[in-house]
Amino acid sequence: MIKSNFFLVSSFLIFSMYSFGEIVYQFEDIAQEKRFYSLISEIRCPKCTSGSIASSDAPVSRDLKNKVYDLIIDGSSDDEIKKYVSDRFGNFSDYRPALEGANYILWFGPFIFLSLILIIFFFKRRAE
Amino acid sequence: MIGEISHFLSLSAVVIFSLILIFNFFFFFGKIHPNQLSLSIRLFNQACWLVFISFAMYVYLAINDDFSIAYIASHSNSQLPIFYKISSIWSAHEGSMFLWIVFLTAWSIFFINSLDDSHSLKKTTLLMVSLIILGFLLFLLLTSNPFERLLPFGAIEGADINPVLQDPALAIHPPMLYLGYVGFVISFSYITAYLFHGNFELEWEKDIKNWSLVAWIFLTIGITLGSWWAYYELGWGGYWFWDPVENVALMPWLAATAFMHSLYASSKSSVLKTWTMFLGILIFALSLFGAFIVRSGIIDSVHSFANDPQRGLYLLIFSGLITLLALGVFAYRIPSLNASKFVVSGSKESFLSMNNILMVTSIFSIFLGVTYPLIIEAINGEKVSIGPPYYNTIFTPLILITAIFIMASVDSLWQRSKPLKSYVYKTFFPVILSILFTYFVWHITETFSILSYIGIFSGLLILFTYLLRVLNNFFYKKFINKGSAIAHIGLGLLFLAVSLNSILSYEKNLYLAPGESIFVNESIKEFSFDDIKVLKASNHDVISVEVSLLQDGKNIILNPQKRKYATRGQITTESSIYASILKDTYLTIGDQLENGSWTFALKINYFIKWIWFSASLMVMGMLITIFKKKAT
Amino acid sequence: MNKSLRFLIVLVPIIIFTFFANVLLIEEDEKFSKFNTKNFPSFELNDLNGIPVKYEYLDGIKLVNVWASWCITCLVEHPFLTKLSDANIQIVGLNYKDSNNKASAWLQKHGNPYIFSIYDPRGDLAFDLGVTGAPESYLVIDNQVVAHIQGEMTSKKWETIFYPLIKKASNET
Repeated sequence: MIKSNFFLVSSFLIFSMYSFGEIVYQFEDIAQEKRFYSLISEIRCPKCTSGSIASSDAPVSRDLKNKVYDLIIDGSSDDEIKKYVSDRFGNFSDYRPALEGANYILWFGPFIFLSLILIIFFFKRRAE
Repeated sequence: MIGEISHFLSLSAVVIFSLILIFNFFFFFGKIHPNQLSLSIRLFNQACWLVFISFAMYVYLAINDDFSIAYIASHSNSQLPIFYKISSIWSAHEGSMFLWIVFLTAWSIFFINSLDDSHSLKKTTLLMVSLIILGFLLFLLLTSNPFERLLPFGAIEGADINPVLQDPALAIHPPMLYLGYVGFVISFSYITAYLFHGNFELEWEKDIKNWSLVAWIFLTIGITLGSWWAYYELGWGGYWFWDPVENVALMPWLAATAFMHSLYASSKSSVLKTWTMFLGILIFALSLFGAFIVRSGIIDSVHSFANDPQRGLYLLIFSGLITLLALGVFAYRIPSLNASKFVVSGSKESFLSMNNILMVTSIFSIFLGVTYPLIIEAINGEKVSIGPPYYNTIFTPLILITAIFIMASVDSLWQRSKPLKSYVYKTFFPVILSILFTYFVWHITETFSILSYIGIFSGLLILFTYLLRVLNNFFYKKFINKGSAIAHIGLGLLFLAVSLNSILSYEKNLYLAPGESIFVNESIKEFSFDDIKVLKASNHDVISVEVSLLQDGKNIILNPQKRKYATRGQITTESSIYASILKDTYLTIGDQLENGSWTFALKINYFIKWIWFSASLMVMGMLITIFKKKAT
Repeated sequence: MNKSLRFLIVLVPIIIFTFFANVLLIEEDEKFSKFNTKNFPSFELNDLNGIPVKYEYLDGIKLVNVWASWCITCLVEHPFLTKLSDANIQIVGLNYKDSNNKASAWLQKHGNPYIFSIYDPRGDLAFDLGVTGAPESYLVIDNQVVAHIQGEMTSKKWETIFYPLIKKASNET
């Protein structure tokens, strides 16, 4: 009984350098904290089939969260942090595709579509 | 033995459906056989019953732990409660496909038999649904056979199903969703039959209206259950991720919502018939597309069933042929439809027309988001990820436009527009109140996010529009469509709750050792790690943690857990939620650190209950609409 | 509604279905995503014996394999790695989030296919490389990372992804 408890409990053990009873990610102000939680919800977990690092408990997600934290404290901007992550894990890791190249079709597609339909219907009515 | 009989019954159903089709095809070119219709109907009913009995036997096998059937052996277990033995049937591909077919058959048999024998479309609709059921049955038996045996001895015990699936909400979510998805086979088949026959004097809308409304309800409940389950079970405190599988359920729902509104227009006013027919076909086509995406493994998603290109290809070709058949007939017949051409600007029809356009744009946006990574990867090998940032950005303006049009369209008239003055009257108060309240929210929260505030404003516009109408009805006895009002209030509430949730919710990650407590913030003045216990349950071990919080002056006790399941060695996190009207306090355990303390993720999620409530309002509104019609 | 619009109603689904059929029919292995070549990150780490590893040790053509004593799948790919090293492929181990005692013991027990192993207990170099877990493998040619696979190295992955790149590099020198 004791043995199985030990194995059960120890399966959750991780290495860390934390001390007792604290908030894990401490920031200077609320704005920084919001930036952190917002960023980690936009960075894809490299190991999971889908989902952000915010929603993942995988070790690499944990490392990424800690790294994003460190970078925010160091003063990096959101763009710099995203670039830091994509340099290492690929463009795939950003849930917000950059506005470049073919991605223009992605971001503007819906509104081009809407405009086209409105134009078609407008002309149809003119014809009558 | 029962397994063989069950299998045989499904095969017999295949034979009979094929016979119906061959029999009628043969007579299509020659003289109509005098008994053709009654014979077809009888064969059809019998084939449907064969499917039902086959499935009933399969359920019997699952309840009685027949582990010589490979599928039951790999997804069930003798220790499971009966409820979960049954729900294990639809926990993976083969069984859930079987359930899909059963529902397809059930909807069809009810609808076909509700039509009078003299109804000119009865036979063709029957043929259409037979074709569809046959295609899926063949898919099941040829590529995804749930009846395969484990030879030579079968398994002694079943592999436990994924512990994450042993949950009441998740057990009901697929049946609800499928009932919704496949319910639209009726509008699909009936409209195709109508177009095929070409008798455009027939009033077709009322035949399928209530069937479609009921299917919509199931679809709404199914999606909401999935979202609710994900919220409390998956541990990350979110309820919608715009995951591809969520998206392919949302697209038919949007099409169905547009369809209902368009159906309303084309039955009252003979306008928008073309739109309505197109939408009626689109819904089921999108359901087929959804089934394909989920079951072919073509898209990375946590939700995908095991991938198999062969299955994917069959589904794709079958869905493609059926869809092209329907759309082809539709495109061919459009000129003959004689749909009323002129839509008066500012009339109710024009607003409903705009509604269709906005809905179709939403569907297009989701479709683009789902397929874009595939397209880019096929072109140049780049991997792109699309998620909430994209969809939130695209949908927010769409929601605003929708809200403005809803506000302007209320009390509009058929085939006539109202003077400009009336617009000013009815939009003045909602706009002013919405601006005021939005400002009020900003003042209290002191946070700003352009997307969320547009969402708040849009939700408020809709809410105030309808609240004012309710007041008008209450004090001045002005007519109000109750079902519509309740459903739209639900919609406005949904936009409002989702946006408020987005700006107000926050998260705190903490670590404490047992017995410790810390101050978190002004709202949560004390967070104490009271106790930790190791327990044993029937098929899993549990680490149970007790935490007490002093939140807003109230004492709350939370009980998050970590579980390790015996059969698969899987570890799951059970969240502990205290849900109040304003916010949910949501706690999960992380990992233990070397020094004995544990990490916790504490999430404060605002207005979650309002989100579930808004879904139930929409369903309630729809129920009122259905039953009100029956009364008159 | 004019003819071209009606035609579109049928054409668009046809295009969509053709596209998906195409995607389905491409074999999983033939689908090699474009890999953005990048420099091998700099690092300050030792090998399992405590001796500092110099960046130049990664010159030439190297297979960098991420492994750990706690990693079960690493055992599965181990025989294949041994075969590769016997065929004179230079494999550099990247020991990921492990203890060097356990790592050395593992190599003693199962055999050592690596010319040396970089000891990365905190996963710093691994993070810069974009490692998501073990086992993973990278092909490094002239200090450029040119390929990356997640999961175990199999002969199929070797032959379709890594080997062609090695051959190309050798032909160019």
